[in-house]
Amino acid sequence: MDVPRILTANWGVPDSHRLPVARQRGVYGRLPRAFGMAPAEITQVVKDSGLRGRGGAGFPTGVKWGFVPPAEKRNGKPVYLLCNADESEPGTFKDRYLMWLDPHLLIEGMIISSRALDVHRAYIYIRGEFRFIARRLEQAVNEAYDAGFLGKNILGSGFDLDLHVHVGAGAYICGEETALISSLEGEKGQPKLKPPFPAVEGAWRSPTIVNNVETLAVVPWLIEHGAAAYKAIGTPQSPGTKLLSASGHIRTPGVYEVALGYPAAEFLEKECGGLLPGRRLKAVIPGGSSVPVMTAEHLLKSNLDYESMQRNLPGGDSNKIIEAGGSYLGSGGFIVMDDTTDMVEGLTNLLRFYAHESCGQCTPCREGCGWMYQILCRVRDREASPGDLAVLRDLADNIHSKTICFFGASAAMPVQSHLIHFRGEFLERVQHNARGAGAA
Amino acid sequence: MAKVKINDVEIEVAPGTNMIDAAQQAGVEIPHYCYHPHLSIAGNCRMCTVETETPRGPVLEIACNMQARDGLAIRTDGDRVKQVRKSVMEFLLVNHPLDCPICDQSGECRLQDYYMDHARHDSRGVEAKVSKHKRQDIGEQILLDAERCVQCSRCVRFGDEVTHTGELRLMNRGDHTEIGMFPGERLNHDYQGNLADICPVGALTAKDFRFERRVWYLKETDGVCTGCSTGCNISVCHQEGEVFRYLPRRNDEVNKSWMCDPGRLRHHEVGGLERLLKARVNGQPGDGVAAAAASIKAVGAPKVALVLGTRASNEANWALAQLGKALGARLYWVAGNDAGAIEKSDGFLMDADKNPNTLGCRLLAEQSGAGDAEALKAALPELAVVLALEDDLVTRLGQAIPGLVALAAKESPTTKAAAVVIPVAHPVEMDCTYTNKQGRVQRNRRATNPLGDAAPAYAVVDRLAAALGKSLGTQMPVVTFLALSRAVPRMNGLDYKSLGPGGKLLAPAPAAALGGEAK
Repeated sequence: MDVPRILTANWGVPDSHRLPVARQRGVYGRLPRAFGMAPAEITQVVKDSGLRGRGGAGFPTGVKWGFVPPAEKRNGKPVYLLCNADESEPGTFKDRYLMWLDPHLLIEGMIISSRALDVHRAYIYIRGEFRFIARRLEQAVNEAYDAGFLGKNILGSGFDLDLHVHVGAGAYICGEETALISSLEGEKGQPKLKPPFPAVEGAWRSPTIVNNVETLAVVPWLIEHGAAAYKAIGTPQSPGTKLLSASGHIRTPGVYEVALGYPAAEFLEKECGGLLPGRRLKAVIPGGSSVPVMTAEHLLKSNLDYESMQRNLPGGDSNKIIEAGGSYLGSGGFIVMDDTTDMVEGLTNLLRFYAHESCGQCTPCREGCGWMYQILCRVRDREASPGDLAVLRDLADNIHSKTICFFGASAAMPVQSHLIHFRGEFLERVQHNARGAGAA
Repeated sequence: MAKVKINDVEIEVAPGTNMIDAAQQAGVEIPHYCYHPHLSIAGNCRMCTVETETPRGPVLEIACNMQARDGLAIRTDGDRVKQVRKSVMEFLLVNHPLDCPICDQSGECRLQDYYMDHARHDSRGVEAKVSKHKRQDIGEQILLDAERCVQCSRCVRFGDEVTHTGELRLMNRGDHTEIGMFPGERLNHDYQGNLADICPVGALTAKDFRFERRVWYLKETDGVCTGCSTGCNISVCHQEGEVFRYLPRRNDEVNKSWMCDPGRLRHHEVGGLERLLKARVNGQPGDGVAAAAASIKAVGAPKVALVLGTRASNEANWALAQLGKALGARLYWVAGNDAGAIEKSDGFLMDADKNPNTLGCRLLAEQSGAGDAEALKAALPELAVVLALEDDLVTRLGQAIPGLVALAAKESPTTKAAAVVIPVAHPVEMDCTYTNKQGRVQRNRRATNPLGDAAPAYAVVDRLAAALGKSLGTQMPVVTFLALSRAVPRMNGLDYKSLGPGGKLLAPAPAAALGGEAK
């Protein structure tokens, strides 16, 4: 099927990040129409399109917008729109290209979204490691101000919007929306307790919408083509296109825009260019490092959309999803591992990351991630016993969904899925360990 | 009221009541570290996890972030809840040093208590524990051992929300998260002791109490701090007649859960060097009561002034007022602070008036027609005997006083100048009441026996009356208080029982008297 390039239309065009080129390519062209619409109409289009948050959770964007209290119930508080550009999920690198190659598309999306949400001050929170992209974004923001797309009375509409680029200090957890808010406020980047949800009480205790870069960049297309056109792409429950970041043991790593529901096998063969010669597919982490790992067999039977990745099971019970061989589409970080991969080494590396990045707030995650990493180090070094695997599994279960934010689950699911799907490799390490313990 | 269900028991609580408190009202303890009724909700320790009943079935949620509303139903006794508590304890202990034998928190440590109640697991941790900074001197009153910390952030919130000084912060991340101060900073406020109180483990300990006594030897008695007119509710912790510390006792209307450091350290005066233990007559040991009675008899009641005390209890003041009435002696009262009082007030708990019972004393003074400081000064030339009840009159009047009889618990310029000195009990050594600046009549209970020859002031006054041939019947505080509350309109209907643990406000003053109070 021919998929419209909603997010990547201008990629590869020389100087696509500069305003004249962007305008020539139609960016900012959707603004007059958006300003002709009532704010509620814009929200309705987003709702009708079925667009789901592209940061990983897949929550319907229009529904999220609907949580902002109406003006009369806000006690005069402003509404903030925060663009989550803290793309820090290992294996995910789509937003960086979107911002690098088409920053004006994001800005246009933010202007239209701000109009819908009655926002007059918006922020792009970008991770500290992306300073070079932040500079490009700032250049784009300045260009947009100079052209009258930002600031007072945009295009004579009477609508004002100020847009700020805020660079974080480089912490994985700041991609979690409430931690992002803490960090933006100048506090230590730690998730906040919910409820209250940010849409009701977020940044500086005002209603706040936090959306992913990719999500916001879809909005102009929705205004131009309408919700029905978007729904026509993808699957009924996962409409539209998705950027997938393909990496690992494949011939052509990169960011690809595909319609949701695209068969994983086809994606692997066509976009990813297949595996290296003589290699066999072993495992794939399909949605960024936090989601359960899938075996080759399970992956090749999957389609790349939210529901079929979860085996059509509700997302709350990840254990069932893992047992059924499923995973999550997440942020679309598609990490391919062939038969040369040491799964024990891989998981240990992942847990090193999670032990380092846990914000340290909630007991299970703070103490558990470090503990799991230490056990894994011993397993990797053949210094563990079979009992350690049981402890490891227990710890993962005791962390999962026992914390303020989703980080705990993100660290637990890789452990749970590796231990289920690649149990043999772990058993081999603990049964033939350095202490000479036998297979018994 | 909101109807909530806790383990199938339905109770009514005020809407918005925190579910940990609501459960407590239902007699169910929900274990917790980070929750504190007088601090904001952090929700990080996860120990208070309970099951909420929802249409989708039971869901695990933390009780501390749940407010009572009609129809809310939680369970605290399910297997999943027990499993979460157990696992939280395992996580908390995996990096916790096993130094209970040398830790001052032992015996009042939530890790110990909850381990016994909810965990009792064998350690599965074989990895090296994370090392952190130990024995850090972070303030005049407090030592910090970061290894013992459970990162509940109570102390951080205390600094942010109560003292607004914000010195403590959680540094670093993951299992290297560590409570600490910014380099070169020290705690710089008068409420440091509370940090040791709210720390659920042995991370923050009070220098004043460290290694003084194992807490399981201590008995706790409800008292009232007599350091100023705020009247913070306290627990007096004592063992075999020795007082080791004061802890703030919760009273949401007075001091919430806090008290100031100067007040907290006042326990040292109970057995301190300044304490009066023996009566003195003209500087020599003697029978103080007999000597006082003799001098009163010798000069005759018109030349005798009895001065009520703002540091004395309601009962003692009542007794002295009764004695004045029986003898026909003049009564006075003198506002002001004693020598050595820490002249500090902060608009929070530390009041400028350093006397625990100014209002109670004034009420009785008005009732019995006692004169004020100016009247006493004017009358001094005609007086031959002046009896001071616990107050440091010499300092307050700023002049010499003839024929001074001092009833006092500790030495002061007044006792040094007095012809007759009679030791009286320290507040921790007697049952009595004080009326704080809000007009709240609060009970103070006897924790230890009076030291030396001291006796409660109301009993001493009773003995003095007996020596003068009068019978007051004020040696029993409960009876004395009843007589007092019957006689004083604004205290009508109060007795020791009805005061309860939190005290009772005086009835509002009649409109006419209000005008009088404004002066």
